[in-house]
Amino acid sequence: MKILVCIKQVPDMESKFKVNSENTWYDSGDLAWRMNEYDEYAVEQAVQLKEQQGDADLTVLCIGPDRVKETMKKALAMGCDRGAHLQDDESHKREPLEIASIIAEYARDKEFDVVFTGMQSQDRGSGQVGVLLGEILDMSCVTTVIEFGFEAGEIKVKRELEGGVKAKVKTTTPAVLTCQLGLNTPRYPTLPNIMKAKKKELLSSPAADLLKVDSRQNTQTMYFPEKKGVGLVLEGEIADLTDELIKILKEKTGVLA
Amino acid sequence: MTTNYLGEKMADTILKGGEYLIADLACEDIFTPEDFTDEQKQMGETTEQFIVNEIMPHIDEIDKQNFDIVVDGMQKCGELGLLMMDSPEEYGGLELDKASSMLVSEKVSMGGSFSVAYAAHTGIGTLPLIYYGTPEQKEKYLEKITSGEWIAAYCLTEPGSGSDALGAQASAVLSEDGKHYILNGTKQYITNGGFAQLYTVFAKIDKEHFTAFLVEKSFEGLVVGAEEKKLGIKGSSTTQIILDNCKVPVENVLGEIGKGHKIAFNVLNVGRFKLGAGVTGASKMALVEGIKYANERKQFKTPIAKFGAIKEKIADLTAKIFASESLVYRLAGDLDNKLATIEKGIDNYYEEYQKGIEEYAPECGISKVFCSEVLAKTVDEVVQIHGGYGFCSEYPAERYYRDERINRIFEGTNEINRLLIPGMILRKSMKGELPLQAEAMKAFEALMTPSFEEIEDVPFAAEKALLKNMKTLFLILAGAGVQKYMDKIADEQEILMAAADIAIQIYALESALLRAEKNYDNVSESKKELYLAAVKVFAFDAAEATGSAARKGAFYIEEGDTLTMILSGVRRFTKYDATGLLQAKRLLASASSESEKYLF
Ligand SMILES: Cc1cc2nc3c(=O)[nH]c(=O)nc-3n(C[C@H](O)[C@H](O)[C@H](O)COP(=O)(O)OP(=O)(O)OC[C@H]3O[C@@H](n4cnc5c(N)ncnc54)[C@H](O)[C@@H]3O)c2cc1C
Repeated sequence: MKILVCIKQVPDMESKFKVNSENTWYDSGDLAWRMNEYDEYAVEQAVQLKEQQGDADLTVLCIGPDRVKETMKKALAMGCDRGAHLQDDESHKREPLEIASIIAEYARDKEFDVVFTGMQSQDRGSGQVGVLLGEILDMSCVTTVIEFGFEAGEIKVKRELEGGVKAKVKTTTPAVLTCQLGLNTPRYPTLPNIMKAKKKELLSSPAADLLKVDSRQNTQTMYFPEKKGVGLVLEGEIADLTDELIKILKEKTGVLA
Repeated sequence: MTTNYLGEKMADTILKGGEYLIADLACEDIFTPEDFTDEQKQMGETTEQFIVNEIMPHIDEIDKQNFDIVVDGMQKCGELGLLMMDSPEEYGGLELDKASSMLVSEKVSMGGSFSVAYAAHTGIGTLPLIYYGTPEQKEKYLEKITSGEWIAAYCLTEPGSGSDALGAQASAVLSEDGKHYILNGTKQYITNGGFAQLYTVFAKIDKEHFTAFLVEKSFEGLVVGAEEKKLGIKGSSTTQIILDNCKVPVENVLGEIGKGHKIAFNVLNVGRFKLGAGVTGASKMALVEGIKYANERKQFKTPIAKFGAIKEKIADLTAKIFASESLVYRLAGDLDNKLATIEKGIDNYYEEYQKGIEEYAPECGISKVFCSEVLAKTVDEVVQIHGGYGFCSEYPAERYYRDERINRIFEGTNEINRLLIPGMILRKSMKGELPLQAEAMKAFEALMTPSFEEIEDVPFAAEKALLKNMKTLFLILAGAGVQKYMDKIADEQEILMAAADIAIQIYALESALLRAEKNYDNVSESKKELYLAAVKVFAFDAAEATGSAARKGAFYIEEGDTLTMILSGVRRFTKYDATGLLQAKRLLASASSESEKYLF
C-alpha cells in the first residue's frame, strides 16, 4: 500500500501577528513554526494505517521554504518513511487550487492508495486543498473525518457534520481524506525515533516545476478588524457614579450639550 | 582564533576550564540555543508536550505524595527515550550530546516535584553506573534504569555529613566467606528513596576506603525510612536509607575500592551543570506566569504591567534569565566539544570522559550557583508581582517560591560551590595549567597605567570593554589575595566568596554578550533591539555586582596605599556607560507583556 500525507507548517497560533508590508498576509519575521494541528492527526492516522498494513510505504509531503523541513522531520520521527519537500518561498501567496495542483502533479504517477490531509490549515483556513486534490486526481474524497478504519480494501470513516451530526461513510481506494481534530491522539516522537529520522530520505525539489494552473485569486488586503470603542464599567457609590457619568456624557458625547 | 584578553593569540580553540578568565573569545566559538538542530528542537518539543499534557495536570496530586503518578510518569519518560540520553548505545542508549540533554532537563523542570525525581534518576542515580560500571553491572541494571522500569537513587549524605561528604560514617566489611560486603549506617535526604529499586551507596570499607556500592532494594538489610516533611518539592520522595547489616554481593562494588570520592564528585559536576539547565527552565516558566498576571491584574484602573515598578522587574528578570540560559548552553557546547575529542570505543573512554568533564568543574559550579540564584530572584519577584495572591497557594507563584529553595542547598550548597570555583581555578594555576600569575602581573601593570582607550560606536563594544575590564579586576584581586595569603588562601573564605562572585559575573556576562553578538546579524530589527537591551540591562547588573564584590574583596585583603590604588581600579574597571538603560528596560518589559512570553 502506498500512503501520502500532506502537511503544512504554520506559525504558533499564540504568536502576536502583524500584517506584512504589502498588507496581504501576516509578517513572518520572529515567528515560531509548528505543524498545522489538523495535519498532526493526518500524520498519526497515516502512521497507524502503515503499522496496520505492515508493508506500506508512507510519504510525507510539504510545500514551502526550507524551514518547513523542520516540521517534516517531526512527521518522519512520528513514523513516515520518506519526505518530499516541494521548495517554494512564495507558498504563502498561493491559492488553494495552486497548492492542490502542485500536490496532484507530484502524486499523479505514484499510485497512492490513500492520501491524508488536514481538514484545513490554521492560518489560511480555506478547507479546500484536500477536496481540490481529490477532484484533480479523480479520487474519492471524504472530509472532516473523525474516525478511520481500513478493512478488506475498503475505507470506513465517521464524519462530523454541522451541529454535531455524525455520518458513517464507506469508500473504495484510492481516496483522499481530510482529517478533523479528535480523529486520534497524535504520538510524541520518541527520542530514538527522532534520531532514526535523521537517516530517512528527505528530498527537496522546486514546487514551481509542478505548478500547472494559473492563479485566479489574489488577496487585495489583509487587516485586523477595527477596534471598537471599549466598554467602560463604572464602580463606586451611586452618587459618585452619577457625577462621573454626567461628566463623561458632557466630555465625550453631545447628549447633554 | 582565540586570543587572550590582551589580544595575544592562543593555541587551542577549545578553552581549558577556567581559561575564560584570561582569554578573549570570539562569538563563533560558543554554542547558543539558536544553534539547536531540528532534532534537538524536536526533542525539546516532545519533552515539553509530555510534561505539559501528562505531568502538569497532576502537580497538585503529586505534591500530596501520590507517588504512583511519579513512577508512572517516569516509565512514560522511559518509553519516550528521555531516560537514555546519556547511556551508551551498546546498552540501548542514545549517547546524546550535552546540549540535547540540557534542553530536555530544562523542559522537564516545568514539572515541579516530578522534575526532581527525573533529575535525580537520570543524573546522580544513573551516571555512576554509566561512568564506572563494569560490563556485567551495566548488563544487569542499565536497561532497567533507562527504561524506567527501575528508579535509581544516590546515597552520599548522612545525618552527620552533608557538605563534608567524605566524613561519612557508613561502613562496609567483607563477610567471612568473602562473598558479600556487610553495610551499616544511615543515609540522609535520599531523593527517590521511597520508590527506587537501585541505590548507589557510599560507605567506607574497614572505616578507611571510601567506596561506592550498587544496592538493590531487595537486598537483605536495606530499610527505607519515613518521608521527610519539606518546605518545597513536596511531591519528591526524600527519605533516610538505613543499612542494617545490609548484604551486598562483592560484584556490586562500583568502581575501584577506595576511589568512591572520584565517583561522588565527578557525578556531582554533571549534576551541577544539569541543575543549571533545570532551574533556567523553571525561571522561564515563573517569569511567564508573572508577565501574564501583570497584564490581567488591574489597580488604579490600570493593568499593573503598565507601572514602571513592575516593568522594571520583568525587564531585569528577562535579562538575568537570558544570561542564565546563554551560560548553560555555552557550557554544554564547551563540554560537547571537549568530549568529542575523545575517541569512542577506547578502553578507558569513561576515564577520559571524566577528565573532560572535570576540566570544566569550575564552570559546572558557576552554572549551579548563578542559575539557581537567578531562579531565586525570579520566584521572589514573581510572588511580588502577584501581591497577596502570590502568597496564597491558589496561584502557582507560591509553589514556585517554595520549590526553588532547595536548589541553593543540594548538589553542593552554593557556599561550597563558591569556595570550589576560585579554589579549583587557583589550583589549576598552581599546577601550571593556567598562566594566572603571569596574567595577574599584567593586570597589575594595567592598574598602574592610565588608559585612554576609546569605545567604538558598534553594537556591544561598551559591554566588551567592560568584560575585559572585569577580567583584569578579577586578576588583580586574585593576585593580591594569593600574594598575601599564599596557600593559606583557602582559609580566607570571605575573600574566596568575593572572588567567586566576580568569576561568576564574568562568565555570565560573557555568555550573554557572545550569544547576542553571534545571532545579531541573523535577526529582525526588532529582535536586534531586544538583544541590545538584554545585554545592556544585564551588563549594568554585572558591573554593579562585580564592583560590590571587588570593593569588599579589596577591603578584606589590603590596606593603606595599595587599598586606595585597588579601589580606584575597581572604579575604573567596573565603569560602564549604560546610557539608554531605562529605555532598554521599558522595551524588554513592553515586548514581554505584549507577547506574554520569555523573549529569547
Ligand atoms: C530535598 C533534599 C534532597 C536531597 N537529595 C539527596 C540525594 O539524593 N542524595 C544525597 O546524597 N544527598 C541528598 N541531599 C543532601 C544534600 O546534598 C545536603 O543537604 C547538602 O549537601 C548540604 O549538607 P547538609 O544538609 O548536611 O548541610 P551542612 O553541610 O551542615 O551545611 C550547613 C551550612 O554550612 C555551610 N557549610 C558547610 N560546610 C562548609 C564549609 N566547609 N565552608 C563554608 N560553609 C560550609 C553550608 O553551605 C550550609 O550553609 C538532599 C537534601 C535535600 C534537602
